[in-house]
Amino acid sequence: MKRSLSSRLSAWLVNISIAMTALRTNLMRSILTTLGVMIGVFAVTLAVGVGSGAQVSVLESINSLGSNMALVFPQPDGEGGRRSFERGRLTTRDARAIEREIDGVTDIAPQLRVSITLVASGNSTSTSAIGATPAYGRVSNVAAEQGRFITDADVRTAARVVVLGTSTAESMFGDYNPVGESLRINRIPFKVIGVLESKGSSFGNDNDDIAIMPLSTVRQRFVGDTLAGPDDLHILFVGFQDGVQLSTAKREMTDLLRDRYKVRGRDGNPFTIRTTEEFIEETGQVTGIFQTVLVAIASISLLVGGIGIMNIMLVSVTERTREIGLRMALGAKKSDIRNQFLVEAAVLCVIGGAMGLLLAIAAGRVLTAYADFPVPIGLGVSIGAIIFSALVGLVFGGWPAVRASRLSPIEALRTE
Amino acid sequence: MSHPLVATTNLVKTYELGGETIHAVDGVSLTIDNGEFVAIMGASGSGKSTFMNMIGCLDVPTSGNVEIDGIPTSDMSGDDLADLRNRKIGFVFQQFNLLARTTAVDNVAVPLIYAGKSGEERRDLATQKLIAMGLGDRLVNSPAKLSGGQQQRVAIARALVTEPLMLLADEPTGALDTRTSEDIMQIFQQLNDDGITVIVVTHEDEIADHAKRKIMFRDGKVIEDAPVTNRRFAKAQEEGQEVPA
Repeated sequence: MKRSLSSRLSAWLVNISIAMTALRTNLMRSILTTLGVMIGVFAVTLAVGVGSGAQVSVLESINSLGSNMALVFPQPDGEGGRRSFERGRLTTRDARAIEREIDGVTDIAPQLRVSITLVASGNSTSTSAIGATPAYGRVSNVAAEQGRFITDADVRTAARVVVLGTSTAESMFGDYNPVGESLRINRIPFKVIGVLESKGSSFGNDNDDIAIMPLSTVRQRFVGDTLAGPDDLHILFVGFQDGVQLSTAKREMTDLLRDRYKVRGRDGNPFTIRTTEEFIEETGQVTGIFQTVLVAIASISLLVGGIGIMNIMLVSVTERTREIGLRMALGAKKSDIRNQFLVEAAVLCVIGGAMGLLLAIAAGRVLTAYADFPVPIGLGVSIGAIIFSALVGLVFGGWPAVRASRLSPIEALRTE
Repeated sequence: MSHPLVATTNLVKTYELGGETIHAVDGVSLTIDNGEFVAIMGASGSGKSTFMNMIGCLDVPTSGNVEIDGIPTSDMSGDDLADLRNRKIGFVFQQFNLLARTTAVDNVAVPLIYAGKSGEERRDLATQKLIAMGLGDRLVNSPAKLSGGQQQRVAIARALVTEPLMLLADEPTGALDTRTSEDIMQIFQQLNDDGITVIVVTHEDEIADHAKRKIMFRDGKVIEDAPVTNRRFAKAQEEGQEVPA
């Protein structure tokens, strides 16, 4: 006798109601078993959330660098070659050549980096400083919130002016607006012309602990004698138009610079080029591994929860052998009995999974609120967690259910 | 219908127990026709229950064959046997075997789940049968709130709900007092009068005397198979006379 779709559906509903009755009958036992699955799903869901959170915050900090950009360092990239450079070179002229000859370049931001000590009205602090041009602001999405940023005139005249990050400004001047104030940087008097918009922090690194001065000022006053040439650079940011293939641009820049430094054949480069695209790809891999490891560890607790389910289902089948025999006598097929116990295990797991999910969402909120760490647990992850819980029930409830379905009706019925 | 309802040919069931082979049922051939009321009798260990389990398709014979309603069962799969039991056989047990924490209606409806009936049909048919058993006011009671006689009547309603051809009752009055036993036997007689074949396993003569035919088992063999000469007719109890639990 074939059963219709609606009667099949109705049979599943019956199984759910049988399962609820059975679970209520042994309420304490059901709760304790559910707890195991709840903790497992909680751990796995939170691990997925924390992993995605790590990815999100890494991407955010990469984007805060500037979205479509290449970084050029005068460090030998150490790749291959019969002759590798001991010391790299990168000059303002190289930067201009890149701007001139590479397609899609919007800005070049040549920079010098230096550690400085600031002193003003009895306060003193150390920070890292960037010698930059106005283009730096455009490429790195940096702007002055108060006062102004570096101008071309500042660079042309090597003016003794500085733009402070919010953290640096605060440690020097407190809440007081420092624009127009004087201070000494490495004993040289400077004037504060602006304070930057906050860029927050990434991985415990305060992006606002910074000072920006004109490139020419830094070269003349702080690093001139340490450079190999008078217009050498520490780093160059190259901004690109949206839609430019960074991998292609990198290849073109590499060819250009190799040509300029007369690097031949398979020799290594005296410079290193990295693109934001590469950063995103690499950190994606790293955070992916991080997430996988986290989820794998958390899965162990779900495995333990699943074993708990299997254990309790075996007990349940043994306890209800007589009921199984009765149902078989009344016409239950093997699949009816199997499904009944599968549904019971799945219901147990889905209840545990739902509680674990809610707990994980709550824990994620707490982490976000108190540790400023994003833990995104979206609809997809939520549905996934519930489906996965049901799967845990089907996998670990599978063997007990099949065992129940294989009982002989008369043996089962005779059981006391 | 020319074929008998139940036909066994040389039915054998053996068990291995402590290295010894026990012949629980030892070559029984008999037929039971539609409309019969049969009492299967014998001492404990005589093989009567084993025989009953085999004609109820709950147990598989070691050799020999059981035909139900003209259908040989020896080559049927477990699922086919389940389907056969569901449609053609109603079981009544000594210990009632009702599901605890489950209402009378839901208990009676269990066989209909496996018959593939919808929830509404299940409820309607189960309610009808319970009303027919005089339990119209006990529909949503769980077994714990019913007397033994009421529980057995719920079990009979469950056995009847799929409109089977026969009722198999294994010591149906074994857990009941004399008067309640009479009630149950009266129900069986009434059902038999309405056309259902009833087969009762019992070791009590008074119970067996309600049947039309007695089959006596000893050591796995039929030693006597005869019509009941002095048939007892259960006295109809007056309404409301039964003592609730």
